[in-house]
Amino acid sequence: MTNPALPEDTPPALVARSVSKRFGSTQALSDASLEVRRGEVHGLLGANGAGKSTLSRIISGHVARDSGALEYRGKTLSPRSTREALDCGIALVAQETSLAPDLSVLENIFLPELGRSGRLSFPDMRRRATAILARLGRDHALPLDREVRSLSAAQRQLVEIAKALALNADLMIFDEPTASLSPAEVELLFEIIGRLRDAGHALIFVSHRLEEVFSITDRVTILREGRTVAASLGTASLTQADIIRHMVGRELGAIYATPGLDRAVTAGAPVLEVENLSARPLVRDVSFTLRKGEILGIGGLIGAGRSEAMEAIFAMRPRDGGTIRLNGREIAIRRPIDAIRNGIGFVAEDRRAQNIVPDLNVRENLMLAHLGRHRGFGLGYRQRQGRVAELLSQLGLPTDRMDASLLTFSGGMQQKVIIARWLLIDPEVLILDEPTKGVDIGTRSAIYRILRDIADQGVGVVVISSDFEELLGVTERVVVMSDGMTIADLPTAILTEEKLTLLAAPRTSTRRNRALLEALAQEYDAFAWWALLEDRSLICLGAAAAVGAPALDLRAGEAREHGETGIPAALAARSEGVVTEPESGLRSMMVALRNARGHDLGWVGLTAADGRPLPSADRIRALARDWQTDTHAQGDAA
Amino acid sequence: MSDASVNRPSGVRRLTRSLEVRMLGLALLIAVGLSLLSPYFLTENNIFNILDQSVVIGIVAVGMTFVILTGGIDLSVGSVAGLTGIVLGLALQELPIPVAILVAVASGAFIGLLSGVLVAFFGLAPFVVTLGMMAIARSLAYIFSGQTAISGIPDALSGIVYTTVLGIPANVIFLLLLYLAAWGYLTYTKGGRTIYAIGSNREAARAAGLNVMFYSILPYVISGALAAVAITFSIAQILSADPLAGNQMELDAIAAVVIGGASLAGGRGSIIGTLIGVLIMVMIRNGLNLLGVSPFWQGSAIGSIIILALLAERLFNWRASR
Repeated sequence: MTNPALPEDTPPALVARSVSKRFGSTQALSDASLEVRRGEVHGLLGANGAGKSTLSRIISGHVARDSGALEYRGKTLSPRSTREALDCGIALVAQETSLAPDLSVLENIFLPELGRSGRLSFPDMRRRATAILARLGRDHALPLDREVRSLSAAQRQLVEIAKALALNADLMIFDEPTASLSPAEVELLFEIIGRLRDAGHALIFVSHRLEEVFSITDRVTILREGRTVAASLGTASLTQADIIRHMVGRELGAIYATPGLDRAVTAGAPVLEVENLSARPLVRDVSFTLRKGEILGIGGLIGAGRSEAMEAIFAMRPRDGGTIRLNGREIAIRRPIDAIRNGIGFVAEDRRAQNIVPDLNVRENLMLAHLGRHRGFGLGYRQRQGRVAELLSQLGLPTDRMDASLLTFSGGMQQKVIIARWLLIDPEVLILDEPTKGVDIGTRSAIYRILRDIADQGVGVVVISSDFEELLGVTERVVVMSDGMTIADLPTAILTEEKLTLLAAPRTSTRRNRALLEALAQEYDAFAWWALLEDRSLICLGAAAAVGAPALDLRAGEAREHGETGIPAALAARSEGVVTEPESGLRSMMVALRNARGHDLGWVGLTAADGRPLPSADRIRALARDWQTDTHAQGDAA
Repeated sequence: MSDASVNRPSGVRRLTRSLEVRMLGLALLIAVGLSLLSPYFLTENNIFNILDQSVVIGIVAVGMTFVILTGGIDLSVGSVAGLTGIVLGLALQELPIPVAILVAVASGAFIGLLSGVLVAFFGLAPFVVTLGMMAIARSLAYIFSGQTAISGIPDALSGIVYTTVLGIPANVIFLLLLYLAAWGYLTYTKGGRTIYAIGSNREAARAAGLNVMFYSILPYVISGALAAVAITFSIAQILSADPLAGNQMELDAIAAVVIGGASLAGGRGSIIGTLIGVLIMVMIRNGLNLLGVSPFWQGSAIGSIIILALLAERLFNWRASR
């Protein structure tokens, strides 16, 4: 999706040169440069903590730079506030939206105008809002009078975009815009971004999802540890491997102290078993088993209920059902201390809000879980002194800053201290929610090594991560959650980012596909299935059987060897025509699905008993196409 | 900041980084100033006067420190002092002195328990709960006393004030021991550190397994009980229990705690800072009396000094954070 109409010598709309910024003891940016033209989508890439968001926020006036130069349309730009940046025509469509949830869509779109003097004309605002949405090709996609609180994440984002356009924003920065969107919603967003580019806007697209970078950006600039390491490279000339090398400064495998997928076999007895856990409304039915010495990943989109499920296990939020067994014995966890006494540790997602006690020094933060578990009047710090020293050296933490405030440490160091807090109680199970969020790349690999080490010592480790790449690099097995339910439990070895994305899709976007399977199964008295095919195995994404149809051993969210499915011949042939199994006589046919952008959505197949008729491939394709357009329509209505 | 010493401050810098040290400096400054203005200020007699006047407010301020450290506030201490004073006066008519004191302190603790449960268990705002408790306690004080002061308190009660050990009055010794105990508790025990952790980050404290519920209630109980202890010392001096007693005491206590460096958001503050805050308050009042300033002007003077001290502190922190 490059823009061939764009002449090479188009003057840049925005130029940033040698921008630097320090937050406390963290040098967020040290020598960042960026050049963006009108009529292009410019990818701003980098690993977590590389400074992408900081640079975006400097350009959009959220934070002030320490040094360096910004030029916008040939003039020096020094926004002292977001208001000043907006007045110049620069808007940030933020990760966490800056909308007022209790105001209506219309009021939010024109929120900046509420701060200007003069009278507001609601009919006029309504007319302008309608025009803006029409320009985005999203007429009637937003109920203008609805409270923003009740909108979906995608709709809120649309409000943000409309809000930027209402101010005639010329340069728009999208900061991780797809983080909480379903695949269908991502498609819609990309369509909108494409329209904006064609209308001559300059667009900055901040992301670390490479697949998206390739499908939407024209050029990319890559940051690493606050520095621009690659400037304005044409996306078309790059490969994924190139970008990764720039982002991390070394080959990917080196970062994850790779688990050695072969280790999975050595994992021991189940240590933590969770069954039918529910904590409504966000957690509806969660079951998984964690073995000793294993690193288990919990994958899924933001909003799938992963953090909430872990918080429910740890009694940080009320549970309304489910059992938790530790080493085969059911345990009652009513308060976090019950979990701690049972040897479960939990590094919660939000470091600042849930883990750090800012007014206590590093030592006391480190000792906090020990203090919680300690029975006695005093502190009992001394008895843990030896273990503390051991942990400090193991984690590479400075020993001379124990009396300092934890807030003076970098994000990575803070996270190490929090992890050490839990290691100090010698847990049997350690749950970590987004353990590398806001952590620099060096510390990231140190954290992975720690996880590896404690798993090797027999601790069961659960890692929640929205970063699929991290999940695949660190874990041995992944449990996928969607809409508050565990829907898949698969060995990491057979997964890829694409497969995880498909598995993690919100059920609203897969419901129609399931309905399609159901309809096919009924119509042809057959077993209908939807799966990702590998050479020797498959991952089932959905299955439906009519009464009396052959019962294949395929269940959504599970992996099977071809030989175990009962239709190995058909799977080997991958034919749209009917294939008859030599042994059982089962007749199967299958069709490869692709979405509008050509992404592989797996295969839909039908298996019927001998003598039953099967439909033509075109018939299935037509039904599937209906499904896809329906998904679009649904995206509008959702 | 022009220098690069932010991370490794010199000795003096490190000292002035501690709020207690800065406030102690302010206290000394006030003492020097007042001794220059009034030759009587630094006499032994007056120093004992200041300590004596610090006892009642100092005791209440300890409880207030506990409450404020958890991020709460206790507006009811003055009224609770008034009510428990009446309880003490009535109890002394029937019961021996130690038992009567115990009854008064227990009733103060009970009121604190009510506030604490309403705040910590039911999640009501501390400001509102203790505001309500303030009105209730004052009204009960009037009802129980029949709207008049109770006199005829046994003389023997004054022994808790006028007994001296090595020349130091018993009430001053009690005050110092109380501060020592409170300091030790807040610094060296699980409960004390839990109180800090709750005020600093309740969610993290809970996640780490600390008993957030119990240690959110306890400070209110301590505060109520200490209000009763404070009024006991006051009654022992004047041998009369007045339903109006303790009026506006909460303001003095909160002011002392805040001058001592505590944050009303919780988590930050110290018992030593509170002691300094109490001494600053009492010295100013004492000094203004010595200088013959009209009592009507004293409120303005004390209020201005509180605000100026906090303003200076804020400006200092702004400068330090740039």
